[in-house]
Amino acid sequence: MAFLQNKWALAALVIFCWASATSFTAGYYYYHYNDLLAKVSGITIHVNLGINYGDNTPTQWFNGTEAKMGMTLLNVTMLVANVNYTPYAGLGAFLESINNKNNSYPHYWMWWMWTSWGGWIEGPIACDKYVVGDGETLFWYYEDTSISPLPKPPP
Amino acid sequence: MKTSHLAIISSLVALCVATNYALVGVPNVKVMDFIVFVGGFCFGITAGALVGILSWTVYGVLNPYGFVPQIWLATMFSESIYGVVGGLLGKNFASTDFHDQRVRLIIFFAATGFILTMVYDVITNIVYAWTLNIPVITTMAVGAPFTVLHEISNTQIFGIGSAMMVTAIRKIFQGERFGISSK
Repeated sequence: MAFLQNKWALAALVIFCWASATSFTAGYYYYHYNDLLAKVSGITIHVNLGINYGDNTPTQWFNGTEAKMGMTLLNVTMLVANVNYTPYAGLGAFLESINNKNNSYPHYWMWWMWTSWGGWIEGPIACDKYVVGDGETLFWYYEDTSISPLPKPPP
Repeated sequence: MKTSHLAIISSLVALCVATNYALVGVPNVKVMDFIVFVGGFCFGITAGALVGILSWTVYGVLNPYGFVPQIWLATMFSESIYGVVGGLLGKNFASTDFHDQRVRLIIFFAATGFILTMVYDVITNIVYAWTLNIPVITTMAVGAPFTVLHEISNTQIFGIGSAMMVTAIRKIFQGERFGISSK
């Protein structure tokens, strides 16, 4: 059979199988993630939120901010500050200002999360996509984004 | 249909049913799909399809997991897909020498097993969802571990077993023309 002689056709078959299996698996986890989120939504949690305006004023800490499970970082930030943002379809919300401190090139509001394994880690997704967890420490830092790598939040 | 054909089909059906009951404690890991496929590959589309349908006729009615007519019909006819595709491939592979390209055949049969299993699982999941009035996407997502287990086990069984089994059947029936694919 000529098909067997074509190694790329065989490779395509294998990749198709792999992609299908991983898609099914991803679908399973996505379903259970949403299911779990729906089940725990509404439970009271506490989040530590820091806001630094990048102007040498001390960081404002809102430790133990009461929130509900299922809330995003944007929701929690709106509980403690006046926030303006622009939603971008597919990407999420882009924060424009916190307490009237507006983005102004090259200074933008960047968010960070504290991890036990790597200290401060830059927020990986839009703030309205990140669901906060109980006891988590998050940080808004108004910083110069022209510097690479981005400066981590001050201690 | 010749008596010899009937004997072969009956034997394969018996093998399917027996292995299914033997493996009843291991959900979604079955040798039946492979037997149906090889049946179609070696003895033609009709024989393969009949093996699939008749196996489910027995196993579906006397099933330890229960009996739902709609799902039973879906599994019965979906199972025949293995036999039909096996039959179609058997025709195309009639002149293929299995000794020359073992690795390629293993990959090909493994992928065939995977794809056929996926088609089978998708069809039966859709019928299951319609029957029990559950959203199809939810059914697929919740059943994904079983689907993937079924696919992976069949990928292995088809990949490792097909070339060997077909070669063995060709040897056993050498010289006798039971509609077996041969050179």
